[in-house]
Amino acid sequence: MILLDTRELDHPIPMEMAVNAFKKLSGDEVIQMIHRREPIPLFEIILKNGGRFRSIQLEENLWHIYITRSKTVDLEAIDV
Amino acid sequence: MYNGLSFEQAPPISAVMRFFLTVPIFGIMLTLLVGFHPDEILIASHPLSLASIHVMFLGVITMAMFGALFQMQSVLGGCSIPNAAGNAFLIHLFLSIGTLSLGSAFLFVSPPLFVVAAVFLGSSILYTAKLILPLLFRGSSHDTLRGMKIALICLAIVVLLGIVMASEYANETFGSLHEAIRTIHYSFGLIGWIAVLIIAVAFQVVEMFYVTAPYSSWCKRYGLLIIAVSLGLKAFWTLLSLPFVWMFDALIGALLIGFIATTMKRLLNRKRRVSDVSIWFWFFGIGLLFVSLSAYTIYSLSGIELFQPMALVAFALFALSIILGMIGKIVPFLIWFHLNAAGYMDTPIMSNIITHTRAKLLFVLFVSTALFTLVGSLYHPFLSIGAIMGSAMFALLLYNIFTALALYAHTVRFGVRFDCDTEIR
Repeated sequence: MILLDTRELDHPIPMEMAVNAFKKLSGDEVIQMIHRREPIPLFEIILKNGGRFRSIQLEENLWHIYITRSKTVDLEAIDV
Repeated sequence: MYNGLSFEQAPPISAVMRFFLTVPIFGIMLTLLVGFHPDEILIASHPLSLASIHVMFLGVITMAMFGALFQMQSVLGGCSIPNAAGNAFLIHLFLSIGTLSLGSAFLFVSPPLFVVAAVFLGSSILYTAKLILPLLFRGSSHDTLRGMKIALICLAIVVLLGIVMASEYANETFGSLHEAIRTIHYSFGLIGWIAVLIIAVAFQVVEMFYVTAPYSSWCKRYGLLIIAVSLGLKAFWTLLSLPFVWMFDALIGALLIGFIATTMKRLLNRKRRVSDVSIWFWFFGIGLLFVSLSAYTIYSLSGIELFQPMALVAFALFALSIILGMIGKIVPFLIWFHLNAAGYMDTPIMSNIITHTRAKLLFVLFVSTALFTLVGSLYHPFLSIGAIMGSAMFALLLYNIFTALALYAHTVRFGVRFDCDTEIR
């Protein structure tokens, strides 16, 4: 699991970090992004480039986003 | 589809960029008007003054805000604008023709051009409201979206009143309500459209871009609503010539002071002290809003005519400051986003799309423009220097946007696409 904690980073650094990490993903690797809001434009980039994601809101300003390029990893099975 | 939201919703890059690219072109036209006619430009109701005001508020400010609306509605509203590229093309074309016609109508005192302007501006703005308002009412509930609804409704009122006044100018006869309509027209334009939209956008971007504490729930929920109700009551009072109409200005002024204080506090107490030119534009813009409110208060209390144009100039500069700061953030983001969404591996990083040096130079030129123009509103010879600075500033803005688009076009043509299956085992 590649951890990206971007809660304290100002826009657009979290997006750039997540996309850079996404481009380097291999095999069953998964990115766990922790962010203070749901990065909706990021999801469009992931989906258009063959990736998948799972986005979970844990608190008002706390989102966990799991991203992978693997076709086999079950993101729903990840224990949040 | 995930969580009920569509992620195929970002409008095409052309839909937004055509508006931004036109902003500096109208800006340069405006500086030419100011530069060549510094003595007439600040005389209330002078044709040159009216032409400049409308080029500024339609060709520069509304043009930029329409671009931002196309982008923000799609992302925040959760539903995309239908046929965004085609609609943006038409709205932009009609807004451009309408602004040019209205500016020319005032300049050349041409009744037929007022009719042309009314047709094109009315079509463009009312069609935008008809296109976006239903999406805002249908989409997710969000404080910024609520503000966008109020702003668009106010803009529709502004243009309807504008059409009434354009018909008066075209017929060269003015009804008994002309002054009242004019007051409502500019009040809804300056406060209901421009200030409300900027405040609504601030609710979203100040916290997101600069990692600040969020605005209070009360402020987000009721602030803009109170402004809208105050504007409605002010219109009613003005039409019926009722006394104490100033109390609505005072209430709106107090809310704007509250916005200045609360925004300043958030920006000063932000968590990360990263040097970012866009935040300088926010600080400076908020300062200009304070100057505008102060000048208007002095004018209202003392009746010294000199402070009325100063209030208007400072307000326009406040809006321009926020717009320049936001364009500096949005343009690199859009280029980066669309290239990445299309899968280009060698997408440039955002800070290389408009370099920090050029962004800083734009800020320096804007500050010079603002200071010379504000002093020029009191002592006219400085207006020409402000206009020269403004020309340089808008030329640099045009260069920044143009080079960003050239970089986009170059990457699309020669860039290497991301292979979705290469690394997956």
